[in-house]
Amino acid sequence: MSLYDIIFYLFALLVLVSAFITVTSKNIVHSAFSLMFTLFGVAGIYVLLGADFLGVVQLLVYVGGILILMIFGVMMTNEITNVDIKTGTTQVVPAIIGVGLFAGALTSMMLRTGWNSQPSENMDTTTYAIGKLLLTEYVLIFELLGMLLLVALIGAASVARKEKE
Amino acid sequence: MNYENLYSSLSLIQPEITISVFLLLIVVADLIFDKNKALIPFLALAGLIIASVQVILQVTNTGYAFPFSDVYLSRKGMVTVDAFGAFFKLIIIISSFILVYFSYVSDEIKKSEKNLGEYYALIFGMILGMFFLSSASDLILIYVALELLSLSSYVLAGFSKLRTRNSEASLKYLIYGATSSGLMLFGISIFYGLSGTTNLYEINTFLASHQINHLTLSFASILIFAGIGYKISSVPFHFWTPDVYEGAPISITAYLSVASKAAGFALLVRFIKSAFVTSDDSLGYWEILSVFDWHSLLILVSILTMTLGNLTALWQNNIKRMLAYSSIAHAGYMLLGVAVLSNQGLVAVLIYFFFYLFMNLGAFFIVMLIANKTGSEEIDDYNGLGYTSPFLGVALTLFMVALIGLPPTAGFIGKLYLFIALVDAQMITVAIIALLNTVIALYYYIRVLKHMFLTKSTVETQTVSVIRPNIIFIIFMLAPVLIFGVYFGPVVDFAKRCVQILGL
Repeated sequence: MSLYDIIFYLFALLVLVSAFITVTSKNIVHSAFSLMFTLFGVAGIYVLLGADFLGVVQLLVYVGGILILMIFGVMMTNEITNVDIKTGTTQVVPAIIGVGLFAGALTSMMLRTGWNSQPSENMDTTTYAIGKLLLTEYVLIFELLGMLLLVALIGAASVARKEKE
Repeated sequence: MNYENLYSSLSLIQPEITISVFLLLIVVADLIFDKNKALIPFLALAGLIIASVQVILQVTNTGYAFPFSDVYLSRKGMVTVDAFGAFFKLIIIISSFILVYFSYVSDEIKKSEKNLGEYYALIFGMILGMFFLSSASDLILIYVALELLSLSSYVLAGFSKLRTRNSEASLKYLIYGATSSGLMLFGISIFYGLSGTTNLYEINTFLASHQINHLTLSFASILIFAGIGYKISSVPFHFWTPDVYEGAPISITAYLSVASKAAGFALLVRFIKSAFVTSDDSLGYWEILSVFDWHSLLILVSILTMTLGNLTALWQNNIKRMLAYSSIAHAGYMLLGVAVLSNQGLVAVLIYFFFYLFMNLGAFFIVMLIANKTGSEEIDDYNGLGYTSPFLGVALTLFMVALIGLPPTAGFIGKLYLFIALVDAQMITVAIIALLNTVIALYYYIRVLKHMFLTKSTVETQTVSVIRPNIIFIIFMLAPVLIFGVYFGPVVDFAKRCVQILGL
């Protein structure tokens, strides 16, 4: 096991454990904080895979933006920390069977498939290449994402408004 | 990509550009005319008219837009503009026209007239997403367009907030939607991991020339089907349908049941045809790669979908829920047409969809008029309505007869072509199951008619008077249902023209 592998497993462990706490914790602040570690761990795996831009974006947007916003939201909402969140489980047996089958299929698939892989070259920064691709070959996707964000903005405003009789 | 390419690509996606421009115009107009929103529906209409002309031109003006640069040899692009896509875009445009009138009449939308700008902006967002879904040939574009469509429709499903059911519908739609688009994204990532490309044509070339683990590929295909199946509400991804259809404003329910399904079917057919089919044989049957058994999957799903849809519709007392299950069942019939995997089956699907558009929207329109007046969507409240409001009663009867698929309505022609395609493809057992399903469907459609005509009207039965523009509109919806039931040649010819999918 090389150093690379060890770092990968450390990050993977971080992601799994904190994700588990996120869904099982009864305190919403604890959940939010452990979600931060989950997202951080994913960012670490991105960097480890040579996707430096993606790692930075993950940190900036998810850890830096969305999560801080969420924690602020929790802190500024009165009483929300006192509310017990329902984290009980129902339908345990069907869930275990379903998830077990799914996980089994996934694992056997991951191990058996000959993935289309390419030898890694000298790792270069990806930011330049991504920027270039986004404005040439994927310019349509880029523009469409702009429309998607606009629609999301309008939608969010529409969801947030209060209906006056 | 050089500029020459860019210009020719842009000229191929004119309808999409028009829709985007008008989306922005609606947002701006909403800000400028803060007090008076009467202009916005007309702005939307103008956008739709221009886009419809451009879509009609696409039937003959075909090609690939946004091709990859010369690293790849195939030079087939992200967007494939062809007659097949144009047909579905036409269906989407027609139902959008109808939706604008629907919203103009609907009481639910009138109550939140201040927010009309948001409403139409979101609808144009939906249209944009659906247009790209009908002609996307790249997995990334498919995903982005699907998200655009879904995001807009989540908000629209909860648009009028006067009832708690609205928010419930919106939230349920969001949760199911997020799950299924997550599954689809996972499937896309597996496809990319296997083939190293997201372009459907290159995936096709890759699958044909390389040895691939079939288990993995089947898994990925099923995951992608989960995303599409959610849009067309096929079993087992249909659970959201009745709740969302019941809770959403009727205009949006009607739109979801036609336009968003059309986009889903266009995507399904193009995905199978572009990524898995190598060529058509002389009879029009598709030579499909043996890597994944689409035939069996589609037959299984469609039989489950129509049987479950029809059997559950029997127990519904809310007419919107009943129409929701009936729309699930109709999706099942149309999936059978896809399952034939031939041009003949595809023609049947196109014809069926064209007729389904008018009969389903017509039925929803009358349900909305009655709900506007009585405030109820329960079938029990339809007692005696046939006597107090004969015009609506007769019109709803005709739409129901068409939905059952009885002559002389267009619904019969749709089913006829479907069954002929099934029998020609030697799928006799499946055809018989579909036929039995039609018999079950007879019961719950007729039940509404029984309430309207065979139950005597009581003092409480209200008279639903119809103003003249609505009468004209209903006649306009009835005309295709009745005329195409007898004189269906032009539609069949047009559908035959439109089965050509570019890319083989």
